[in-house]
Amino acid sequence: MSQTILPEVVPERADGPSIGETTDLLVTPRGRSRGTVVRNVLIAVWLPIVLLAAWWFLSASSTSPFFPPLSRILEEWWNQWVIGDAKFQLSSSLRNLLLGYAGGALIGVVFGTLLWRFPPVRRVSNPIIYFLYVLPAPALLPAMIALFGIGELRQIALISFGAIWPTLLNTLDGMRGIDQVKFDTARAMKLSPVRILFSLVLPGAGPQIAAGLRASLQTSIILMVVTEMVAAKQGIGYFILQAQTVFAVTTMWTGILTLAIIGTVANYVFVLVERIVLRWYYRSRALGNS
Amino acid sequence: MNATTRRSVRWLAPAAAVVVALLLWQLVTAGGLFRADQFPTMFDTVQALGKAVATPAYWMSIGSTLQAWFLGMVIASALAITIGSALAFNDFAFRSAASVIEIFKAIPAIAILPLVILVLGSTLPMKVFLITFGVFWPLVIQVIYGVRSMDPIVLDTAKALGVGGLRRFVTITIPSASPYIATGLRIASASALILAVVSELVGGAAGIGRNILQAQNGGSSAYPVMYAYILTAGLLGIVLTGAFFLLERNVMHWHESQRNIRSNAEGALR
Repeated sequence: MSQTILPEVVPERADGPSIGETTDLLVTPRGRSRGTVVRNVLIAVWLPIVLLAAWWFLSASSTSPFFPPLSRILEEWWNQWVIGDAKFQLSSSLRNLLLGYAGGALIGVVFGTLLWRFPPVRRVSNPIIYFLYVLPAPALLPAMIALFGIGELRQIALISFGAIWPTLLNTLDGMRGIDQVKFDTARAMKLSPVRILFSLVLPGAGPQIAAGLRASLQTSIILMVVTEMVAAKQGIGYFILQAQTVFAVTTMWTGILTLAIIGTVANYVFVLVERIVLRWYYRSRALGNS
Repeated sequence: MNATTRRSVRWLAPAAAVVVALLLWQLVTAGGLFRADQFPTMFDTVQALGKAVATPAYWMSIGSTLQAWFLGMVIASALAITIGSALAFNDFAFRSAASVIEIFKAIPAIAILPLVILVLGSTLPMKVFLITFGVFWPLVIQVIYGVRSMDPIVLDTAKALGVGGLRRFVTITIPSASPYIATGLRIASASALILAVVSELVGGAAGIGRNILQAQNGGSSAYPVMYAYILTAGLLGIVLTGAFFLLERNVMHWHESQRNIRSNAEGALR
């Protein structure tokens, strides 16, 4: 019976689908005929359209200082983000996000693999990794300021730090879940360790690594905004908070809108890349289900 | 090696690792790799933690963070369970709402923080609203999946036996979906803690996050205090996540998925 010391860390997946799978509410089985496709699309879009229309008409005559009419928000969004200079805030935000996320994800996959390869190290370091995983990363923000100053380095460092753990734990868990028979087969075929890593271990753990990478991406976006809201001079989080401070509520709404778009687009790009990279996995699963 | 020594080794090695890590911290900071205004020594931090633990302010900050966490979790899970199961039972409703849920889930909850601060101020309702908003969407997806994964035979049996309405919901639907809900709650608990800390850090509401920032503003002499509060935040994370992990394992021990996990774990040891 396995007697764990601390609760052995189970990443965003316990039973049933992992987080990467549970979140794909939108992925519906493909309709065969064109009529089915049209109906599926209509069912998916009618409610968002109704809600948007409701927002538009209910807010049209709004005099509340906090909830300006949607028409004014959109107009201001166009002025700020398309014509105006606000889009330059985006470049610094996205650069920090990309560098931080890529760094954290890389560290997560590499060290997750190393921990899988060396079980004694894993057992010994388990409580420390567990602590770093559950530590709410934004709490480290002031410490990062002390360590790296208020420059962009601390923003990238904190985003990386937060991105490491979901990826690392999912990588480890995915690799541990690979069927032992496959390793026996690889050994019988006398595959080199490098070959085993790239053609057995990484693909075998692929779906779960992807789930971890997705959780890391969400953490990274949160940390991107948080780091920009404290002691920063640029970025979309700074833009929103600055607008709030001077009570420019409509401008603030445009920032919120932009951030919502970034979150949605990032999510969809991720799903798209995942579908392409893990094509073989989704195809085999679809075969298994039919 | 007999079972007792094996178990004590299992306990000792990680405990030793923690001690080594703490000593390494002390060595690195006292050895001069980091200056005192960058990273305080372990001894200073533990001392600061010991001093803080004796003050009521320390416990009050933990109290405010936990209070917001708890209220946000309760409201979000009540909403997610009722709305999620209602959606799961009707295919049209589920597929219509799916896109809306996906969109809202993709919005980082922090985006609306400045708005919520503006409307509600740096108060407890502000924190609770932010936590509820951030935690609800992922949770409702788990509930929908849990309810939809229910064995149709179980549902038909319940119907044939004339179990209906609220009783069927409480005795059949919720237990069937519970593994999914338990997983969703564990993930939600971690997000809720993060959002609570952020709302204190950025929104200035009372709690651990605000104390961390205040200590940082207090200059390098207050850094041990800052790290004492950071350690506290981590310990809080361990307690909350650990509690939900145990809940998942012990309350759900009867469920098929948990039995599988256990038999897999036993199989792996062979």
